[in-house]
Amino acid sequence: MSQTTVSRTVVLTNRAGLHLRAAMLIAKTVRQFAAQVSIVKSHQRVEATDMLQIISLGAECGAELGIEATGQDADQVLDALGRLFSDNFGEDQEPGN
Amino acid sequence: MQKLQGIAVSSGVAIGEALVMDNEGFRIPRRFVARDAVDEELDRLQRAIASASDEISRHRDAVSKELGDKYSAIFEAHLQMLHDSRLQSELVEMIRQRHYSPEYAVSRTLRRYAQVVQSLESRYLAERANDIFDIEKRLLRHLLGRRREGIFHLTSPVLVLAHNLTPSEAANLDSRFVKGFVTETGGPGSHTAIVAEALGIPAVVGTGAFLTEVSGGDLVIIDGNEGLVVLQPDEETLARYRHEAEERRSLATQLEALRDLPATTVDGQQVLLMGNIEFPYEVDHCTDRGADGVGLYRTEFLYLGADTEPNEEGHFQAYSQVVRAMGDRPVTIRTFDLGADKLPNPPAPEDERNPCLGLRSIRLALRNLGMFRTQLRAILRASALGNVRVMFPLVSTLLELRQAKMILADMMEELEENGIRFNRDLPVGMMVEVPAAVMMIDHFVDEIDFLSIGTNDLIQYTLAVDRGNKEVVGLYNAADPAVVKLIHIAIQAANRKSRPINLCGQMSGNPVYTMLLLGLGLRQMSVSPGALPEIKKICRSVTIEQCEAVAKRVLTMENARDIKSYLKEELKKRAPQLA
Repeated sequence: MSQTTVSRTVVLTNRAGLHLRAAMLIAKTVRQFAAQVSIVKSHQRVEATDMLQIISLGAECGAELGIEATGQDADQVLDALGRLFSDNFGEDQEPGN
Repeated sequence: MQKLQGIAVSSGVAIGEALVMDNEGFRIPRRFVARDAVDEELDRLQRAIASASDEISRHRDAVSKELGDKYSAIFEAHLQMLHDSRLQSELVEMIRQRHYSPEYAVSRTLRRYAQVVQSLESRYLAERANDIFDIEKRLLRHLLGRRREGIFHLTSPVLVLAHNLTPSEAANLDSRFVKGFVTETGGPGSHTAIVAEALGIPAVVGTGAFLTEVSGGDLVIIDGNEGLVVLQPDEETLARYRHEAEERRSLATQLEALRDLPATTVDGQQVLLMGNIEFPYEVDHCTDRGADGVGLYRTEFLYLGADTEPNEEGHFQAYSQVVRAMGDRPVTIRTFDLGADKLPNPPAPEDERNPCLGLRSIRLALRNLGMFRTQLRAILRASALGNVRVMFPLVSTLLELRQAKMILADMMEELEENGIRFNRDLPVGMMVEVPAAVMMIDHFVDEIDFLSIGTNDLIQYTLAVDRGNKEVVGLYNAADPAVVKLIHIAIQAANRKSRPINLCGQMSGNPVYTMLLLGLGLRQMSVSPGALPEIKKICRSVTIEQCEAVAKRVLTMENARDIKSYLKEELKKRAPQLA
């Protein structure tokens, strides 16, 4: 089984930053795939399935994040996450909850 | 280790396990579980998570149906967080490896996350800590189930850490187990402070928010002398405090030997040393330490923590218990010193923006004569049983004093008509705690049998400082020369007319001021019972001549800091072990 690691950089563009609901959507999305995913903000690295860890990053609007995925469907999970970020987590740009 | 500075309201040091009360009076229980109970406790955690999940799902579905998915998303997020795999494994690890109780594990883990989130720069994100607290509370509620308990069912010694204690919570603290307490809010005049003193346990109030940083079972030190709280102290700090506690214990043992000796100075001046009490049971604390009487019997406890006003019989029982215990020694009962906000009836007035300057104390009594009469009747009846004296608080004008005395005279007449026994010559006194009363003291001494200086309020009104306000509490100082001068004027005026004058504020219980007060001419002091031995020791270690020299010098000094450090030096000379 090939264990390729792919990574990509995303920029947070939703107003509220990586908050509770955004973290939940990330965790939910990642769980649908087999790949291991981590999120990197400057020197902090957290598992993308750990909501509490994700919020603890304190990533605000404008923050640059690295996403790294390892596993067979690494590319697919990054695509799915990329859509989530570019879609501002489905927020209509009011401060979310 | 973390240190918090608050306001010291009751002296002493306590070291022990924390009992944390959150805003809902929710108690977070003990830290450890028995080794063989681990599996059972893990089951309990899983059941709690499951039932909390069910509850959240129900909320989510209801909100979603009513308002749409957008509004139920928060519950979905909570649900996901509960099932966060990392969180679950952390909780399991704490219970399995460290034998923490599920409650402790939940509160410790989630509070740690909440702390991280709270410290985030983004204010919006930082506020999400509330979601984490919410989950913590929900889980705790499910864990504790029916075992959810307040502060009233204790089985082992604890230090209570709370946002605030209501008067009834404070009054009902189980003194067998509560060894000290800390509240986030409150000031030195708060009722909780008085209760702590009554219980003789160290207490610190007004620390500001910190409860999210502790968990039940954490080791805590309460330093009621310095107003310090130490959370999870390191070994060195712990050792230092344990050593101090040991020294205090041995000093207390030494001082016990003074119990039956009089508070007489080296040159033979007798000092009347009495106790301040609030609750009837405290009379034992006075007799145990050989007090010459009760110099201040506060009666507010009869009104606080009760839904209805006490009746005459309730008053009478509380008074007679103390009067009988004191035998022929004086018991000074102070009529109620309450703010209008403390009463169930009548409702608080609308314009009470400044309760310290508002409708309280004797002012309230004169406006609620029914209440006042009930209390006076009970005091009069108790006066037949022993050496009772009555005292009016917060008198600021002669008119108030005359009105209060008139009502007392009415009550005497009423009792006489009904053939009820009382002491016709009941001594009537007043508190001197408003600067206006000091300015008019020459008139007051002609109309009163005795006086008692209440320094807590006198300082507050003289220096215009709210003791409960952390920003200005530093200005509140018994050593302020203006305060010393007012006390001097009052003592001189009383002594000229041979009217007994007492001092019953916290100042008289502080060893630093004993020599000064004796030097100013004071011959009676009333202190919290715990302070009796120390103050007696000082009286027995000094001469009036030495004290007068100290007072003379202090009266020439210009600021509180100089006065206080001078007094400390003098104390060190005469009673080094108390300095």
